[in-house]
Amino acid sequence: MGGASCEESMIEAATFTFRGQMICESFTEFALHRARRLDLEIDLGACDAAAAVLSVRGQGDLVDAFEMACSLGPYDCIILDIERKTAT
Amino acid sequence: MKLEAGWVPVALSSSIEAATSAGAVVEGSEIVVWRDNSGVVHVWEDRCPHRGMRMSFGFVRGDHIACLYHGWQYDAGGQCRYIPAHPTLDVPSTIKVPTYVSQEKYGIVWATASPDAAMPDIGPAVGSTPVRSLYVDCSATDALSALDAEGLEHISTDTGLLACDGDKLFIAVQAITTTKAAVHAVLLGPPSADNAKRQAHHARRLEKMRYALEQAAEFA
Repeated sequence: MGGASCEESMIEAATFTFRGQMICESFTEFALHRARRLDLEIDLGACDAAAAVLSVRGQGDLVDAFEMACSLGPYDCIILDIERKTAT
Repeated sequence: MKLEAGWVPVALSSSIEAATSAGAVVEGSEIVVWRDNSGVVHVWEDRCPHRGMRMSFGFVRGDHIACLYHGWQYDAGGQCRYIPAHPTLDVPSTIKVPTYVSQEKYGIVWATASPDAAMPDIGPAVGSTPVRSLYVDCSATDALSALDAEGLEHISTDTGLLACDGDKLFIAVQAITTTKAAVHAVLLGPPSADNAKRQAHHARRLEKMRYALEQAAEFA
């Protein structure tokens, strides 16, 4: 339990590539809102109609929550694939 | 009146027992009114930041309220303190339910986003007995017009005193939507032996007023 506690509260950085049918403005606004809510630092990368790249940093559980939230995406985007690269 | 504009009556104090919660609406804004175990009342936006579940469906645990959906627990300030699925998580300060300032006066729970606004004042509290909250299918304006016709002596736009069969009622009207209103009524004065009888009498009178108002609205 103690070990898990330390692991779970670790700060984690991850770079995501969300692929699918993207509307950049909509997806970016959505991602920024979720990152703010989850107290994550976020750096936006490239975005086009097929993919969006971004990096976040914060508590590991909240990075996971961010990934889950963005996998659903805003109503006008369809996320088909997520690539995650983690650097702790 | 909107919560941003001043103090809005949202429930009778007696309707919100300790360790319970109830939903209410003020001009379309959904709120939860809940009372913690120590008796302090809280009024918040009725929405868990996690998945949008109504907090009014939640459970009060001590001075926290837990969302029904995933059990996220919020302290009296609206700050999320515990997420059961992540028990060791240091919950960030960004996970918070928007709150309103609340106060109890004259047997009514009031809430506002503008605490500097003046609260309706009828002088020193002399005791009050709850009559009832009456939910009416008409606008707050129409409800107030009907009360004006009964002789309501206004304290503010939405509140007033109503002399009635030797008693004095304090009336506070809450606009729920443009076609729904709540009329909160309390009997002023120290409790007496026949309080229950008088309470029932005034409740029946208000029900008659509701019937008349809804009939008028239906055939307008």
